[in-house]
Amino acid sequence: MTGFAGTGEAIRFALKRDRLILPLCLAGLIGWMAVYVVSYSGLYATQAELNALYKSVAGNPALIAMTGPTGGLRTLGGATAWESLPVVSILSGVFAMFSVIRHSRAEEEDGRTELLLASGSGRFAPLAAALIVTSAALMLAAVGNVAVLAIADYEVGPSILLSLAILGFGLVITGTTAVFAQVTGKARAARGLVGIVIGISWLLRAIGDTGDGTLTWLSPLGWAQQTKPFWEDHWWPLLMLLAATAITISFAFRLLARRDIGSGLIQPRPGPARASPSILHPLGFSFRLQRGSIVGWTAMLFIYGFAVGAVGDNIESLLESSPTFTEAFASASGDLIDSYFASILTVIAVMGAGFTIAAVLRPHSEESRGRADLLLTAPLGKVRWVSGHVLIAYIASAAMIGLTGLGLGIGLGVATGDYGEVGKLFASGFAQVPAMWLTGSLALLLFGISSRLAPVAWGLLATFILIWTLASFGDIPQWIIDLSPFSHTPAVPAVSLDLTPLLVMTAISAVVTFAGLVLWRRRDLL
Amino acid sequence: MEKVIEVEGLIKTFGETRALDGLDLTVEPGQVHGFLGPNGSGKSTTIRILLGLIRSSGGSARLFGEDPWKNAVALHRRLAYVPGDVNLWPNLTGGETIDMLGSLRGGLDPKRRQELVDRFELDLTKKAQAYSKGNRQKVALIAALATDAELFIFDEPTSGLDPLKEAVFQECVKEITGRGHTILLSSHILGQLEHLANTFTIIRNGKTVETGTLGHLRKLAASAGRDPDSMSLEDLFLSVYAN
Ligand SMILES: Nc1ncnc2c1ncn2[C@@H]1O[C@H](COP(=O)(O)OP(=O)(O)OP(=O)(O)O)[C@@H](O)[C@H]1O
Ligand SMILES: [Mg+2]
Repeated sequence: MTGFAGTGEAIRFALKRDRLILPLCLAGLIGWMAVYVVSYSGLYATQAELNALYKSVAGNPALIAMTGPTGGLRTLGGATAWESLPVVSILSGVFAMFSVIRHSRAEEEDGRTELLLASGSGRFAPLAAALIVTSAALMLAAVGNVAVLAIADYEVGPSILLSLAILGFGLVITGTTAVFAQVTGKARAARGLVGIVIGISWLLRAIGDTGDGTLTWLSPLGWAQQTKPFWEDHWWPLLMLLAATAITISFAFRLLARRDIGSGLIQPRPGPARASPSILHPLGFSFRLQRGSIVGWTAMLFIYGFAVGAVGDNIESLLESSPTFTEAFASASGDLIDSYFASILTVIAVMGAGFTIAAVLRPHSEESRGRADLLLTAPLGKVRWVSGHVLIAYIASAAMIGLTGLGLGIGLGVATGDYGEVGKLFASGFAQVPAMWLTGSLALLLFGISSRLAPVAWGLLATFILIWTLASFGDIPQWIIDLSPFSHTPAVPAVSLDLTPLLVMTAISAVVTFAGLVLWRRRDLL
Repeated sequence: MEKVIEVEGLIKTFGETRALDGLDLTVEPGQVHGFLGPNGSGKSTTIRILLGLIRSSGGSARLFGEDPWKNAVALHRRLAYVPGDVNLWPNLTGGETIDMLGSLRGGLDPKRRQELVDRFELDLTKKAQAYSKGNRQKVALIAALATDAELFIFDEPTSGLDPLKEAVFQECVKEITGRGHTILLSSHILGQLEHLANTFTIIRNGKTVETGTLGHLRKLAASAGRDPDSMSLEDLFLSVYAN
């Protein structure tokens, strides 16, 4: 067991390093649950209101695809669990991904692990500490969630089941991240891969839940949702989550035992001794740095669009067979399926804004890793360098969401044999672009003010996601909803295109981008 | 003749910390100027101000008579810089990195590049993530030395290099001075400095303590009652700190 020597030290070090961020994340995870609890208990205080909710929502395939099975909506607990379980689970997973990488692979990449091991720690200590800190945080969040539910008078047993299901998904991602952190030598790549796993988990259950359910059982998020808290209360899917956690974690340690410290299992292969002309230009070089994540995100969103489009046909026929939904969706006028696609495009745009932020903040990671110095002491202007990255971020964001729309259209075409909608859906994707740009420009503004403020951009995105979630409840003040740029994007193709908000948002993002660049020019490099 | 570097009363504060507290530094054309001082005395901070990466809080800093913060891009055409801790792009090979950095200055002379690669014995096909510290350092050194800059700013450029490559670096420095170009060299390797530099500036706590040639520094030591001729730069350095 000497391999684990020094784990205690490493845990203490990790906790000290995270003394600010960890409580914030915990508060975020528990707070998110609290938002659902407060909103649902406020909105559906009586059984009559719950029955109305059930009637309007249950069985709606569009909502099933986005959120999950709707069978539990007749009780307050079931309704709360329906929406909170997938969302808080995914947030827990994202937290687990960042936390595990931050304390294992990222430390190793920066060469600090080597120091630690040289001073007598076992080779398993850093990973063990990362896993213990992350799982302990997830468990605390679960305790907090139970407490929140208990305070709001939810039944205790199912509350525990709900919190454990969320915890279980978080733990599976903890283990998965541990595996990918051994496979690749780079933190960024590991995070990208885990992000794809989370995305696929969501997609598999979305397709499974709207189809015959087979694919749901291939997704850890599906397992968590199949616990059906406050409704059928199945405890046994927790075992599947637990087993997956145990398997991934032990697999990660087995991989760690076999690889060299400082590198991944995949060894970097030698490359060319001369640079290709494509990187012998500042913009070309910046593109090269961003290329991997652009290709990854674009492929993921396109496939996602395609999958949603391909099942869109089923959803349409199901929707049409139900007069309630026809009424609900038709109120937005236009085609039923168009409303569904509009809401899907919004979700993807909000997720895609995550790419926009990461790409705009690429100079920030170059700066904090000390790589900006080599570029900026050559005759390359500060503003020119950053604006190149911003340009790439903005163009790629637009291309990405446009291609998602195209994917929707092609998917629908493959399913129905009618490709008439392709052009319309392709164009609808682009309506989301200004809101993504605006989010990106705010990230740039923060980066321009100071390097330390840049990560706050992620908090901003979390806020927009929260606002988007809350907006579906319909009773929060309009001014709060208006804070998010995504609230101002017209829901095309369901409604006719109103260019005004799009032009206004584009203008604002241009001004904010300009301000960010000016501030960046005036500030010290890290 | 126009001074290459002219720093007077330079001040830099980071919040509460006063990293530079009235520092003076003058470098004439053709000099190899040794810049030394204990850890945290402000050498890198001075260099970063001269490179226009950070802005001074007071005093004046001039490079070729111009303000390095305002005219950074134009001045960077005339200088090359090697930091003490080189961070590279993990996915690029050494060769790609050298070419890319060279392209920012309009391209490197391929013959000169090849010659330096041979002398430093760098494997250009390795990805940066697979390089050792010394090899990362070589990448930045080759990219800088292959240029025809008028001023080279080195901040502990040879940290991590083995003695043979250290000797190669010393040869390169002599070639630069042979062309009449100027070098500011910050280093803790006093043997290297003594051998290469002809003038020195010693700083402590963000202030210049002594400046001048080795002979001048020896004279100062002599006036403090020591035998100057037997003193190496190391002895002088230590005696300056002792007061
Ligand atoms: N970005 C920063 N923020 C806060 N303090 C800083 C920053 N950069 C430097 N300092 C402080 O300024 C002082 C001078 O640091 P500097 O790096 O210039 O020293 P140095 O002479 O290069 O030391 P060394 O020989 O160790 O390289 C130190 O006290 C350092 O802690
Ligand atoms: Mg230094």
